Amino acid sequence: MSDRMEGVKKLFESKSARVETNRGDAYYSRLFEQCQARLGELRAQEPLNRLDFSELLAEQGTDRRDFMKWVSATTAMLMLPPMFAPLVAEAAELMNRAPVIWLELQDCAGNSEALLRSDGPKIEEIVLDIISLEFHETLMAPSGHQAEKQLEDAMEHFKGKYLLFVEGSIPVGAGKDWCTIGASGENFVDHLTRVAEGAAAVVAVGACATFGGIPAAAPNPTGAVGVMDVIKGKPVINIPACPANPANMVGVVLHYILTGQIPELDSLLRPKFAFGYRIHDNCERRAHFDAGEYVEEWGDAGAKNNFCLYKMGCKGPMTFNNCSIVRYNEGVNWPIGVGRGCIGCSEPDFWDKYAYERPMADAKIKAPTGGVEKSVDEFGLGLLTAAGIGIAIHAAASAIAGKKEDGGEA
Amino acid sequence: MNSGHKQVKRMTAFMRINHWVVAICMVAAVLTGLYIGHPYYQTLMADGAVDKYVMAWNRWIHFMSAIIFDVSSIVVFYLYFFSRFEKPYKKLIPSLKNIKEFFNVFVNLVTLNRVKKFDSSHADSFNAVFFFIFHLLLVWMLLSGLQMYVHGLASGISAIGAWWPALLHLATDWTVTVTGGSLMDVRIWHHYSMYAIIVWTMFHIYYQVWRTIFWKEGDIAIVIGGSKFVKEDKQ
Ligand code: SF4
Repeated sequence: MSDRMEGVKKLFESKSARVETNRGDAYYSRLFEQCQARLGELRAQEPLNRLDFSELLAEQGTDRRDFMKWVSATTAMLMLPPMFAPLVAEAAELMNRAPVIWLELQDCAGNSEALLRSDGPKIEEIVLDIISLEFHETLMAPSGHQAEKQLEDAMEHFKGKYLLFVEGSIPVGAGKDWCTIGASGENFVDHLTRVAEGAAAVVAVGACATFGGIPAAAPNPTGAVGVMDVIKGKPVINIPACPANPANMVGVVLHYILTGQIPELDSLLRPKFAFGYRIHDNCERRAHFDAGEYVEEWGDAGAKNNFCLYKMGCKGPMTFNNCSIVRYNEGVNWPIGVGRGCIGCSEPDFWDKYAYERPMADAKIKAPTGGVEKSVDEFGLGLLTAAGIGIAIHAAASAIAGKKEDGGEA
Repeated sequence: MNSGHKQVKRMTAFMRINHWVVAICMVAAVLTGLYIGHPYYQTLMADGAVDKYVMAWNRWIHFMSAIIFDVSSIVVFYLYFFSRFEKPYKKLIPSLKNIKEFFNVFVNLVTLNRVKKFDSSHADSFNAVFFFIFHLLLVWMLLSGLQMYVHGLASGISAIGAWWPALLHLATDWTVTVTGGSLMDVRIWHHYSMYAIIVWTMFHIYYQVWRTIFWKEGDIAIVIGGSKFVKEDKQ
């Protein structure tokens, strides 16, 4: 009963996607002081590695000016006023004070790849290089018991301080026992729970770690769920998308360094700075949407003229993400920019409910009656037909019965 | 008028106007809503995108008809309780009398008018419940529709002030949770509900025609002239 009460309460209190972009001077000056104090503390701490940020920048051929440009863009992305720019720059330099443990569970390593395989050395990459990555299954040299030893050490040493990044979903159903990791054959649920125990916060990156993603798509053979369904009583930050945008990962870490807190989250635990806006509202094809100009099939005249991709199944109108603003690979391009629709990868259940590449009305999804997949319109037309048949039968029966009655009366 | 028939007033002029406004709005909302869900005709004008606002106009008509629809429903809701003519809520209370009447009208329908054990001169519980279902469907369309609408006001500001998106979030965010947790579910259920409303309308029209033919009391005229005719001896 109390569970139900909680549920109802949550329903009406659920934090919405609304973004507060201006919180007033008083708020920001207080925050500024907090951040300054926090950065001072961090500076006093021993760095966790000997990588020096400005040296790295110089090595990669990025000059101070480029760096400052990145800083102001990132400050804006975090929805902080310009006076925070020097602090953001300082926070980036202090990134080597943030211990990070990275776990990979049921995933394709796509988020790690997104970080590593960008077209050239980017500031984001450098920032992520300098993070003290204490443990990352895919990237580290040791394996087996050695690797596990390293994890133990990191967990022990940075207890209560490390950020735990999780990539991939967690099987809690039939797959719970099939999926094990490490030399001791620990299953994913135990592995994650154990490592999350001492974390300051858990950051779920990618669609799988946040909402179960593709492993959780129907029929979800392994019973996959996201991190927030397994880890309770710890701050969880979701950075969905397939893959998660490195800019947003950096944003979350920077925010943590800067303020010592996790950023403001929406009801799906996504940072509002990144997921507060709808793709559709910042899309370069929006004028064509309003005009009713749509790509009708791949490669047609509309496609050549960059018409809106709504009829090709673009889900920008129901997807919240900042990729229409920050794009991918250092602003090079993004899905809609290259001429294919958005598949809603930063929303829950995206594979079943968004990624079918046609408008929702035509999509084959599970009908409310269950069973065979139907399009929404097929189901609706079925409903209309059933009603029509019912009415026709009643009408015919009434007509026949009515005649009989007349005959009887005569 | 036939001798032996008595004229019974059933709908005031206001109620009749309201009925037709709602009917027109519904057709408009369905036609534009289907376009919004899947643009079924192409914009073939050669002007630049800024000149032709086909989707935008469809959405405008959809919102406008929805608003008129909703406002009229609010008025009807008010009339449920405070109408000086007839207070429909009295027919909705699940009292023994109403339940019996509901059942009797239903029996009349399924026995093809062989059994008719109720007074058909005044509004009956069966129709009252039936219309109530319609109003519930409308409330659902209103709230799920506004939930989709507020996605475009992500910044939390609007032309009429910040209270508007805040109110919309407060009033409609639960629709996401109850439909399945994603924004797409709200869309899907908004679309399904349209079909439910069409089915409702089909039955409504059929039933009124059926009553007219079989009860022989001119029910279909209620929505035009406001009254029907009941045999004197029945009274
Ligand atoms: S391409 Fe997608 S996001 Fe862009 S305007 Fe069209 S529907 Fe909206």
